[in-house]
Order: sequence, then structure tokens, then C-alpha cells
Amino acid sequence: MSQRRVAITGLGLVSPYGGDLADFFSRLLAGESAVRHLLTDDVPRPLSIPFVSCPAFDADAALGRPLASMMDRFAQLGMAAAFSAWDDAGLPRAADGESRDDWGVAWGTALGGTLAYEKGYRELWQKGRERVSPLSVILGMNNAANAHISIQLGLGGVSMSHTVACASSSVAIGEAFRRVRSGEAKVMMTGGSDVPQAYGVARAWEALRVMASGDAESSPRACRPFSADRTGLVLGEGGAALVLEDWEHAVARGARIHGEMVGYGTSCDHSHLVRPEAAGQVRAIEATLADAGLRAEQIDYVNAHGTATAEGDPVEIAALKAVFGERAAQLPVSATKSMHGHLLGAAGAIEAIATVLALREQRIPPTAHLASLDPACAGVDHVLSARHAPQLRAALSNSFAFGGSNAVLAFRAVAP
Amino acid sequence: MDSIGLIREFLKDRLGVEPETVVSEAQLAELGVDSLMMLELMFEFEDRFGIKLSNDLKSPRTVGEMVALMDGLRTDQS
Repeated sequence: MSQRRVAITGLGLVSPYGGDLADFFSRLLAGESAVRHLLTDDVPRPLSIPFVSCPAFDADAALGRPLASMMDRFAQLGMAAAFSAWDDAGLPRAADGESRDDWGVAWGTALGGTLAYEKGYRELWQKGRERVSPLSVILGMNNAANAHISIQLGLGGVSMSHTVACASSSVAIGEAFRRVRSGEAKVMMTGGSDVPQAYGVARAWEALRVMASGDAESSPRACRPFSADRTGLVLGEGGAALVLEDWEHAVARGARIHGEMVGYGTSCDHSHLVRPEAAGQVRAIEATLADAGLRAEQIDYVNAHGTATAEGDPVEIAALKAVFGERAAQLPVSATKSMHGHLLGAAGAIEAIATVLALREQRIPPTAHLASLDPACAGVDHVLSARHAPQLRAALSNSFAFGGSNAVLAFRAVAP
Repeated sequence: MDSIGLIREFLKDRLGVEPETVVSEAQLAELGVDSLMMLELMFEFEDRFGIKLSNDLKSPRTVGEMVALMDGLRTDQS
């Protein structure tokens, strides 16, 4: 079967910095952290954690009051990111003659509408009410974001959500990619959104002892992937979206092509729920290279999963060394989670955007706060400050989830 | 608050509908009240007036029908 080329024609996100896509990328290049201290008024004990919020996000302004009121925050962030990517792709929101019956959505979310359900529990158990809003089901369902996106953009093809913990949106992007490449869909909207600040969810992550701590002063540099003094991950909310489009379709309508998606590979460690294993990650990376028809030496940048946990970071570096061999020492690697945090089900999407922009702009964003490299994470070319890389040809974005689910995406630069 | 006041407040708050357009003959569907929003409106109504709507209630089509329904229930159950 002949395969279609897959163009990335739209990028959009709700930026934790508050600005647009160009602003987002310039801040990543500058090594600027979006992590802040989150202090809630929850009872019995407030959350007091480093966190990445989108404080400038105004759902009513972005979506209109009637639409926003039918959504939980995870769907609001997803819808806003999708609108932004759609506009960026130069596609009209209402179908303009061309059938969209095979255009679809593949969306990633680890937590879905957890906040909506938590609101229900508060009503019942804290406020002593006997019932919850009749909208709770449609606010809380995990496929709410992709369903709204399909409705708003008139997409008649598949509309699905993928829940694979921290790899959710990488899997979503990969599955969307396959549909466009096979010719099943001309256009796929993909990406992810999540809101991990539900009280019960944030407490659960704390209990796992993998979260970095921090106060108002120290939070911005709380997430330090690969650093000898790293203390854990920093959660964040957000939404990020990409429009994947049949190459010829994109060219025919004169669309701007940000980059090409060329490969997707998955694997499962099949060994432990939370202890990652290099062998499984190696299989995912090699599957991606094979899928893309790329050799390891053609990869010029890897956006690492790099969460800044004690266990995860060295295993990822070991996997990269196994795949890239002697060349690993010259392989530029960075973990942008050091700045935008870990968006769980939206992590793969925001990192895919960072990777595509790196290829387009020929500039590699750094791992922030990496003054003192952990010897266990040595062996690759850690990017410590933004780097101009005029020969950047192809790049990978890694997502390695709890559960041992691994997903890796491959992108290629296009000539401007 | 009377029934029309509650409907106006709800539609303004949830859908951004201007109160002066919420008149007796206005169709609820045209104001943006679909089946989900109707459920939410009834929920709010039950909450505010402390009454319970029966599950086999026929959905009102106009603002006037909604007001009549609410007024009737408030009289019956007060």
C-alpha cells in the first residue's frame, strides 16, 4: 500500500507564559521557567507545590460563555489549543464545501474530567448536598475534549481519546499520524490536555514521593532533569494541539508546512508499573527509526521524556546510549519539562510542538537548571543553553509512561 | 425571586443571553437552551425553590410555558 506523506500544518497551545506560540518557543530558548508556587485553600491541608498553571487563560473569552460552560477545564484547554492550531493551519472553522467526513480527532488525556468529578465529591461530602449537576457526566467523560473539537470543527471521521498516562498525547499523535499516512484521513486534529491540580490527584502524586518540593522563591527552578540535585517532577496543566495533514492536500491549498511527521513507535517494558526499563525504551526508539526509514545517525536532536525523577532520567540516557552507540556523546538532548513542567496527558503534545519548532527554527531549546550533571545521566550532549543548529534534519520526542508504555515520535525539517 | 427572574438570571449567566430577549413567547431552543441546558435549568430551579420535578415532566418549549410550569409547581408544593 502506498503511504502518504504527513505534513504538520497547524500548531497551537495554551501557553503557561500567557503569550502565543512564538513567545512560548522564545521563552523555552531563553531557558525561562513557567513553574510557580501553587498554594490552594483546600481543606484539610492546602496544596503547596511547584506547579505550572495557565493563569492568563480565560475560557469565556477563548471559547465564548455558552461553549465554555459545557466543559470541564481539561476540555476548555484542549478546545482552545485546537482552535489555535486550526487557525494556524489556515483552515476555516466551518466546513467550506470540502467534505470533512474522513477528518478526525485523536486526543490524549491522562486524567480527563477528574476536576468535574472532584467538584461533585466536594458538593456531596463537604457541602452535604445530596446530588450533583446534571452536566457532570458530559463534563467529566474522558472523550469530552475530542467530542467538542469534532463538533466545533465539523469533523466527521474518528473522534477518540487515548489514556496512556504520561504517553497519552504521544500515542494520540502517533495514531493520528498513521491515519493520515494510510490515506484513511486527509486531516487529523491531535494533541492533548490535562489538569492535574485536582486535590485528590495532586495529593496522590505527592504520596508517590516523585514530586519536587518548592516555595514561592525556589519553585521556578524546582524541576531539574538530569541534574545531580534533582528532586522530582513538577506537574502542570495545559493543552497543546497539532494539525496533521496529507502532504499533497496541504500543498494544494498552499498551507504553511511547519515540518513533516515521519515515524511513530511504541513498546511496553512489560516488567514493572513504575520502574522504567531501558530495553523497552530502546525497542520503542528503534521501532520509530525503522518506521521513519531513518538511521540513528540522521537524528540531530532528542526531546527527552526527562521528568527529573531519580529513577527515570538515568534509564532514558542508558536507552539513548544503547541506540546511538558511540555517537550518543554528540547527540543533542534536552528536557523542556524543566521549564513547562510535566503536563501528563498533554506532555507529549507540548514536547512535540517544541521539537517541531526546533526543526523549523533550527534552534534547540535547553534543559534549564542543569548546572551540575548527574554522572549517571552522562553520555549524551546535554544542551545547557539555546543552540543554533543550522544542520538540524530530524528529531525525536520521547514519552515513557507509568505502566511501562513507551511512545516515540519522529519529525523531519522541511526546506523553508 | 419570581420564575421569570430566575430564568433570565440563569440564561444571562450561562449563555450570555440578554434579559430583555427572555420574553414569554421566546422559544427556549432559539435562546440556546438545548436538552442539556434544560436539565441544568431544572436542576437550578429545584435547588432555588426547594422542590422536586417529576421525571416524566414534559419539557416546555417557550419561556412562557417554563414560567407557567414553575409557577404551578411552586404553588402546588408550597
